[in-house]
Amino acid sequence: MLTTYTIEGFENIQYQGFQALSQIEHNLTNLYTGYGYHQVAIPTFETYDSFIGNDAISANELFKFISRKGRVLALKPDATLSVARMAAINHHDPNEIIKLFYQTNIYRHFSSPGDVRKEITQMGVEFFGDNSPECDGEVISLAIQSLKANGVDDVQIDLGHVGFINCLLDELTISKTDRAELFELIENKNIGDIQEFLSSRHYDPKISDIILELPMLYGDPTDVFARMTKLCINQKMQDVVKNLSALFEHLRSVGLDQYVTFDLGFTSSMNYYTDLIFKVYAGNWGAPIIDGGRYNKLSQQFGIDRPACGFAVNLLSLMDYLEEHDLIHVESPKHIVLLYRESEKKGVFDIASRLRAQGCMTEVFVINSLPTAMIERLQVQRLYQDADFYVFERDGVFKWEASSLNPVTAIESVAVASESE
Amino acid sequence: MSLQKNKIKMALAKGRVANKTIGRLKEIGYVFPDYSKESRKLIFTDTTDTLEFFLVKSPDVGTYVEKGAADIGIVGRDVLLEHPADVYELLNLKIGQCRMCVAGFKDTQIQYNRKLTVGTKYPHIAKNYFTQIDQPVDLITINGSVELGPILGLCDCIVDIVESGNTLRENGLVVLRSILDISSRLIVNHVSLKTKREQIDPIVEKFKELAF
Repeated sequence: MLTTYTIEGFENIQYQGFQALSQIEHNLTNLYTGYGYHQVAIPTFETYDSFIGNDAISANELFKFISRKGRVLALKPDATLSVARMAAINHHDPNEIIKLFYQTNIYRHFSSPGDVRKEITQMGVEFFGDNSPECDGEVISLAIQSLKANGVDDVQIDLGHVGFINCLLDELTISKTDRAELFELIENKNIGDIQEFLSSRHYDPKISDIILELPMLYGDPTDVFARMTKLCINQKMQDVVKNLSALFEHLRSVGLDQYVTFDLGFTSSMNYYTDLIFKVYAGNWGAPIIDGGRYNKLSQQFGIDRPACGFAVNLLSLMDYLEEHDLIHVESPKHIVLLYRESEKKGVFDIASRLRAQGCMTEVFVINSLPTAMIERLQVQRLYQDADFYVFERDGVFKWEASSLNPVTAIESVAVASESE
Repeated sequence: MSLQKNKIKMALAKGRVANKTIGRLKEIGYVFPDYSKESRKLIFTDTTDTLEFFLVKSPDVGTYVEKGAADIGIVGRDVLLEHPADVYELLNLKIGQCRMCVAGFKDTQIQYNRKLTVGTKYPHIAKNYFTQIDQPVDLITINGSVELGPILGLCDCIVDIVESGNTLRENGLVVLRSILDISSRLIVNHVSLKTKREQIDPIVEKFKELAF
């Protein structure tokens, strides 16, 4: 059965999980709205060219379709590009401040063998039109709070900057494939293979030595700054250090520095990031829950030169973490089932409406066999395990308690009383 | 997926790598008194109570570490290339050094533009290598005693790891091409490296003694 009806990498979210998920969405919506972000919805498809044209993502990772007019479409593998496009269409002044957030699904054939989920539910924010450390600071603060608002206390944010490595490699003549290979080795902190790679190329030994330092450039911010400063060989690299320390100063003054560590060995999985990139971890969870960064060039693709910074929260990953750490407290409404004889219909439907108005989950069933048998049959079903059952007979109302039907007098007050139990 | 905070968990590849590694670990101060090859225990703790290890099949080491069930792992580079995992490959431990080679009969020619039949336990590595040198091949995946392939005429040559070359010699085969050097790697989970620095850094420092 399962093999016939399920597609690998796509998950069903059951009703228990859905409540947790909407709880998380609710918390995040409140958080982002409180900071002045406006929610938008983005389409499921984008044109294939918009992802391939700018090398943002490998063609192998896209789900591709042909439209009836012959255009190649892709299930969107990323939300940022779509949001940047929306911002470009609706806001023509490049200096306008635009703060948007979204909740959407993205689709990718991940190349990593371990990643089985191909449909990822994300919620994210994008801040357009500001290139200051304060803007980065706000986005980082929101990323941290995205976890805190859901009860995660053990939050760590790892900051990197793609500019540092790019400005270093600008000093070299390096082919696109070599660059990609080197990036991957640095990303994996694969020092043995980096050595091998470098020894088979003929780069300036001074630069090779710096490349070897990059993977280890992580940890405590002050320590990393000291080491970074020593490695700068051009003005642009110094600018990166300056830029990062301005950001760190800002974070320190708003009291967020305790969450921050650095890693300059991050290259970028999404090629549109131009400066800051970051990942946020929850406790010792094996994978980052939030990914983000600054992308100052992406909007150019849509004809507007507009700096921007943002991140996306992997909602299902966050939900898994919360579940495992018992941090999900969903209040289910009281569940009441009313069984009635045909003759009692009118009264029962009135009562049901009143109970629903009080916030109770109320269901009605007409009695078509023995009431006790009906209740017993329902009670073993998963969706009815926590329900209270009432039977409306011509001669009165009965509540199902301790496997028998006991007469009760006032229906409404019974329901209200049992609610306050 | 989540990790416990106290001890650092290490996944070790059963077999060649584990045998060599456990001995070398003593040199850097990690002694596992309860470990013996016959032991039925699954997890062993060292005398300093900071490191514990468990043995798994080699392709699973990357999986355990990637998913965070283990913080660190030791596994051969051949395995990581064949079964890639999203982990930090922090150190080249210089344990279990050998080479990945193309081997066959002495007179086997790797001829340009003629399709070659290759038997191997490492189809991924073999495919990458032959693609790089633009050699068309038919790959046959064999799970053990790869040397039998050319002898029985299953394939023209094999791709396999060669340590001393004894097995090849005894079967009348020789190394035709060397593909790459293999040794054990210390791999680390992406998040553990960042969130458990205080525990992992000293261990990595000690392992560096094995690396250089």
